[in-house]
Formats: sequence, structure tokens, C-alpha cells
Amino acid sequence: MKRFLALALVLVMSLGLFAGCGSEKQPAADDAQAASDLAYVQGKGKLIVGITDYAPMDYKDENDEWTGFDAEFARLFAEKIGVEAEFIEIDWDSKLMELDAKSIDCVWNGMTITPEIELGAAVGNAYVKNAQVVVMAKDKLASYADITAAKDLTFAVEAGSAGETAANENGLKSVAVGTQTAALMEVQSGAADACIIDITMANAMTGEGTSYADFGYSIELSTEEYGVAFRKGSDMVDKFNTVMEELKADGTLQNLAEKYELTLA
Amino acid sequence: MFWEVTQSLLAGFWETLKIFLITLAGALPLGLLISFGSMSKFRPLKWLVRTFIWIIRGTPLMLQLIVVYYGPGLIGNWAAKIPDPNFLIAWMAQWSVYDRFLAVIIAFIINYACYFSEIYRSGIESIPRGQYEAGQVLGMTKSQVFFKVVLMQVVKRIIPPMSNEIITLVKDTSLARIIAVYEIIWNAQAFAKSDGLIWPLFYTAAFYLLFNGLLTVLFGKIEKKLDYYHA
Repeated sequence: MKRFLALALVLVMSLGLFAGCGSEKQPAADDAQAASDLAYVQGKGKLIVGITDYAPMDYKDENDEWTGFDAEFARLFAEKIGVEAEFIEIDWDSKLMELDAKSIDCVWNGMTITPEIELGAAVGNAYVKNAQVVVMAKDKLASYADITAAKDLTFAVEAGSAGETAANENGLKSVAVGTQTAALMEVQSGAADACIIDITMANAMTGEGTSYADFGYSIELSTEEYGVAFRKGSDMVDKFNTVMEELKADGTLQNLAEKYELTLA
Repeated sequence: MFWEVTQSLLAGFWETLKIFLITLAGALPLGLLISFGSMSKFRPLKWLVRTFIWIIRGTPLMLQLIVVYYGPGLIGNWAAKIPDPNFLIAWMAQWSVYDRFLAVIIAFIINYACYFSEIYRSGIESIPRGQYEAGQVLGMTKSQVFFKVVLMQVVKRIIPPMSNEIITLVKDTSLARIIAVYEIIWNAQAFAKSDGLIWPLFYTAAFYLLFNGLLTVLFGKIEKKLDYYHA
């Protein structure tokens, strides 16, 4: 009996493991979505939004509720398609896997639109503009008027981020780390001279009351645009674009952008 | 701020403890079962179990977490796109993701059961044959000999390597954040992301150290208590 139990157990486990490995080799770019993704979301009655804690796009207010530009925008969109928005904090590196595994329905978190992300997901039209800035100690800012003056420094960037792309485009010496906060920590610890991060991030993370009180920025590198990612081949994208046009036309988005000090794309 | 961070880290550490305790409760017995399999005289079973142990010990726990949580959903989504599915594909198309915490528990139990099983095996195989023979002479059945004569001696011998592995488990729970289960390191990193504070991350060490200190004392006591017979 024990023998059979063990055998059965082992069989199931190894099957599961091999099947799991096999699936990841499948190309993600399979455009033919069998059924409507919109119908699927409306069927279950809620839109699961994958986010990270990232002010001012998505962050928790004093009542522990998610708020921010993206959170409010996502709720408006969910309302328009007749479902409820549910927010879940994800590991940013796993966002495409989360989408494909249907544990979330969209990534809505100040995501920079890049050619890479468009390979793995269906991205809606740009809604907000952002810039990459060079952050370093305030007392050093004056010595570096533009990026050519800073050529000899070592930069910390988030792996796969727009900041990394900006560093490569400018031919800078850079170290890729896991997150934008890790990039700041690199500078704080002296491992790098400066880091390249989002302007929104830089505003939220530096200055009074943070561990980076004497950090600042002056050089702006590339500008970029934010988009919402849906599953590859999903019909939610068209719906999103239509809803966004409506919200732009009636001024709702402009009001939101002013509330959170952002620039619409 | 210090109090707020402490509260958040405590909440995270509770999640850590839950993963730790449930994993231990599942992996300790499952490990014994797997060790029986790897010592089985029935060759195919022994071969299968050892291959399984090789796979689990040979791949990162982080990867296993990803496979266990995202695997079914990814397969389901892939299968749903295949036209004219046969019954197997149609069945797989219904697979979907489930609870994140449950996925962590499944991955951790399987992973740790494999490590434990090898420790059990080392313990069981170190018991002299004479012990089994003595049991048989006394008219005990095979399972009586194992549970009444051998097992307690095994327990005594494997306490040091087990305590090693169990302390590692406490720290490995931090991998759960990969599939967005909010344990103590996640909560600490949240302060770095939203408030620009680095120190909560280092503060987590105090929680781990305190708990592992308790475990070390506990294992020391158990070892002392079992120190009644020298072979």
C-alpha cells in the first residue's frame, strides 16, 4: 500500500513538474485568442489589476485603500465595462507571466511602453508622459551640467528599465540592479556615482523624510510614455482605447492628471 | 515611523512563520515516505523517487515556486488556444491559477521533503543490522522493529543535520515573495519602494536572528534530552 501510495505520489509530482517546464517553452506570441478576453473578464465580474506600490500611480491611502492616478483610472475603466476593479501587488519581473497565467487581467502601474513589452503583451495607447532623470548627491549636481560632463561616472539602473536603455543610448558605464530603489541604494552606498530612474520615482523617493534626503536631479535624459498591458491578442485593448478617448473628451483624465501632477500623453 | 515599520514587519513575519510551520508539518512526514521510496527494494520505485529527488534538489526553489504557481495557468491558457482539442488538451484548458499561499506551501513541502528524506535515509542506514536482528529475535514484526527500535535512534542521530535544514527553511521562506506572498522581506522592501527607507530591510535580520536563536536553543535542549545512550 505504502509502495503504491509513494509511486502514485511521485508520478503525479514528476508529471506536474515536466508539464510545467514544457509549457514555458511555448511561444507567448500566440495571437489567436480563442474567446473574447473582455467577455471573460465581464463573466467573472472583476478586473484584476496587477500593480506595485509606486506613488503617485498606485499607492495606499490612510485607510489602506489603493489610490493614485492609475488606481483611479483603472476603477473608472472597470466601471465602464461593468465590473469591479481588484488590485493585487505583484513582483514586477513576473508581470508577463501573471498575465499569461490569468492571475491578473492587466498591468496598470506607470509601465513604460517599450518594444520589448509589446512583444509579450497587448499594450493600450499611451496615457501619461514621463522622463528619466540622473539622480545623485545634491552637492555634486553643479559639476555636471549635462550628460556629456557625467560620462566618466558609474550609473546604477534598474535591469530592463527605460533608465537602462537611456544609459546604453548615451554610452554610459552602468550597473544593472533589480529595482529602482536598489539603484538608489547603490548610489547611497557609494557603489555607483549616480542612478537613472523615473522622474515620478525621483520626486517621491528623494528629499525630506526619506533615506535619500540629500539626493537631487538636474539632467533629464529620455522622455517616455506610460501604457496599460493586457494579455497578448486580447480584445480589451480596443475597449481600453475607446474608454480612454471618452474620458479624455469629457476632461476626467485631465482633472486626474492635475490632481497627481502628471502630464497626459 | 519605527513603530509603524515594526508592526508591518511583525505582520510579515507572521506570514513567514505560517509558511515555516505548515511546511515543517507537511515535509517531516512526507520526507519519511520519500526516504522509504528511495530505499525501496522495488527497483522502478527507487529509480523514480531518486530521479524526483534529483530534480527537486537540482533546481532552484525559486524556479519551483514559479512552476507550481504559474504553471497550471500558463498551461491552461496555452491549451485554450489550440484548435480542435483532444480530451487531454480540453482538460488542460480548464487549468487555472489557484491560491498563492497554497502554491508556496506545495512547493516548499515538496522541496523540503526531498532534503529531509536524504537526512532520514542517512539516519536509517546508519543503524546497525544487529538492531533489526535483535528485534526479529524478540518476535517483533518489521514495522514494530522500525517504529519501536530503529526510529528513535534515527531521530537522535539526525537532530544536528535536521536543525541545519530547519534553520535554512526559516530563511528560505523569503523566496515566497517571488510569487507575491507578502512575507517579512516583501514588507520591508515595500518601505524602500514607497517611503524611500532602507533600514527596514536590515531590521528584518533581528526577527530572523531572534527566531533562529530560539530554534537553536530548542534543538540544543532536544539533543541533550536524547543524549541517554552511546552506541
